[in-house]
Amino acid sequence: MTTQKTEGSRFGLDVGTSRIVLAEPGEPDFRYRSQLNSFVRIPYSRMTEIALQKESVPFSAGGGELIVHGNESEQLADLLGREPRRPMRSGVLNPEEPESEAQLRGIFQGLLGNEPAPGAKICFSVPAPALGSAGNHTYHEVTVKQLLTAMGYEVVSIGEGLAVVYAELEDTNYTGIGISCGGGLCNVCLAYLSVPVVSFSIAKAGDYIDASTAQATGELATRIRIGKESEFHFNGHFPDRVQQVLSVYYEDMIQALVDGLKQALTSAKSAPRLGRSVPIVLSGGSVLPKGFRERFASVLKTADLPLPVSEVRQAGQPLFATAKGALRAAMSE
Amino acid sequence: MAVRYKNGLEFAVERWLAWRARRIMDPVARLRFLQQAAANSGRRRRAGKRSVLLAFLLTALILIPMPRITEATSLLLSETPPLVAVAAPESVIPSQVWLVEKPETFEVFSNGLRIEVDHPRRTELRRFLPVDRTRLEHADTDHYLDVAVRTEPVGIVFHTTESHLPPFEASQNNALKRAGRGVLAYVQRNRSYHYLIDRFGRVYRVVEESDTANHAGASIWADSQWVYLNLNDSFLAVAFEAQTQPEGPAAAINQAQLHAATVLTEMLRAKYRIPAYNCVTHAQVSVNPDNFRVGAHTDWAAGFPFEQMGLPDNYSLPLPNMTLFGFSFDSVFINHSGSRLWKGLILAQQRVREGAREQSMDESRYRASLRTRYREVMKALRQRRTSS
Repeated sequence: MTTQKTEGSRFGLDVGTSRIVLAEPGEPDFRYRSQLNSFVRIPYSRMTEIALQKESVPFSAGGGELIVHGNESEQLADLLGREPRRPMRSGVLNPEEPESEAQLRGIFQGLLGNEPAPGAKICFSVPAPALGSAGNHTYHEVTVKQLLTAMGYEVVSIGEGLAVVYAELEDTNYTGIGISCGGGLCNVCLAYLSVPVVSFSIAKAGDYIDASTAQATGELATRIRIGKESEFHFNGHFPDRVQQVLSVYYEDMIQALVDGLKQALTSAKSAPRLGRSVPIVLSGGSVLPKGFRERFASVLKTADLPLPVSEVRQAGQPLFATAKGALRAAMSE
Repeated sequence: MAVRYKNGLEFAVERWLAWRARRIMDPVARLRFLQQAAANSGRRRRAGKRSVLLAFLLTALILIPMPRITEATSLLLSETPPLVAVAAPESVIPSQVWLVEKPETFEVFSNGLRIEVDHPRRTELRRFLPVDRTRLEHADTDHYLDVAVRTEPVGIVFHTTESHLPPFEASQNNALKRAGRGVLAYVQRNRSYHYLIDRFGRVYRVVEESDTANHAGASIWADSQWVYLNLNDSFLAVAFEAQTQPEGPAAAINQAQLHAATVLTEMLRAKYRIPAYNCVTHAQVSVNPDNFRVGAHTDWAAGFPFEQMGLPDNYSLPLPNMTLFGFSFDSVFINHSGSRLWKGLILAQQRVREGAREQSMDESRYRASLRTRYREVMKALRQRRTSS
């Protein structure tokens, strides 16, 4: 399915390590479509190709192989007992994946179609620099920008945490802390009246939980991930070892996030003095387990942040918040 | 971008922007408005004239009428108008309110006002000296107190009791009555106000109108002719059993209280010929002489229903405590006050700047001279009081 093309269209694109989500204006609210940001190569067979066509699974063929990307790649990889390949790692293009750009382009085309209408503008999300690191993500940002520009879009970018603020905090005039817990990174942004004040990311996120749990339990990370999103919850009772280990790494991620928040707010040269408490909004696939918000809030209580927090809330649609915020940014241009 | 508040003015600008943004219903339009504001602010900061330009920006925002913002960007980008002091229009003093009957425990007036009169407390008879504003401003220090002693009130200060408020529901009737009785007893004991309006809109006379009440000790207000210091002596006090609410849709008082306050104000204004611009809130007049800050008390710093009570929006009057005596405000006060009051603060600040320019002084020196004037006036008033 491709998107409807009208002149001056606006799109928001969450380019996440785990998922790529497209948001576009719709009635009464925005419309979203997403694809997993992964692919799997399988040996070519005519029968498989026909089956994929019949099921409308996005794929490409070449070099004696079928490359299945997007949502079906994970299930297929699970069936085949292998890990899907990932165009991105830790929030940026995967330096160890030679096909990252080509596969990313394929996923973009699957979501956006081939040719935009004149004047179409797209705003895509980029990760914030890692906390305490002088590095940046310029190469990633420029590459994604080039891919989208080559497709015919006018392109702007937005920090992932800020996009969450734009998506969820209109009631506080876009003032507050947006957190996106994705696959590769947790992105955080404190914004004041729509202006980003402090932004950073930490590398402990969904993939870290999956990989660490897989290592501790001997399971495939993909299998961990599928089970995690559908079954895991924070109620203190874990029926099996995988869930028990998951809880340990989730706790680790939450603690790292809260520690990072405290460190960033305490050490920021532009430490804000807002004179009032601000809300925190949680989004992304890693906040989906039941009880995550409550667990985060309870860890936060012990942290003694330099900025008072009025509430911790979960985004209305955690998987779509970044794309929604990116779309709002595109529309406000 | 650093968000640091260097001074109260800058803080006020950002709060004002936030208030205006909240009035834009469409999330994207609101975002666009804020982004533009941030961009403009950034340009102005780079230009290196931050304070003055922020003041201009805010003044522009104040003076642009805006029942609803639909195209906010254009407002921010519009030409900055010249600074103009916004004077609240005078409302006509009501003349036809008379006492209809006066049984032992209540009084009924022709406009429907009923006052519960349960042994109002006596304090000291009102006697005060206003300061001649013209002479004060022309540094005629020998004569600004050459006026006759006054005994009638010249204004009204509105207060809130900031007391415990049970939910206003039928099921809470007993708690509501109990709370009301408790507050009444407390303010009677302390001679806190002349009138108290409880949650059911009942008006109680707490202290006789002819006497002073302990409602606004360190306080300043002025009209075009006179300056009043220590409004315990010169102004009547009307308190609502209420808590000041932050700016927003929720009103601090209910309809019964609003009606009672309206008819009470009408009666008092008619009786003492009180001009509308002398009907003000405690937050507007209260000062702390120790640190020369306005807003030592913040009741009715936001949300006072001037218009619903038939009064002009006196929040927009420049505060005399700043313009005449060099008091200033800080972010704490801004935080507690509503955006309507910021107009008065900002305009007062502009007046101080203009005054400094006229005197060819820098602002801080000019402000210091005004503060010296305050100390001198207070000293002179004390001496006159002692000698009399």
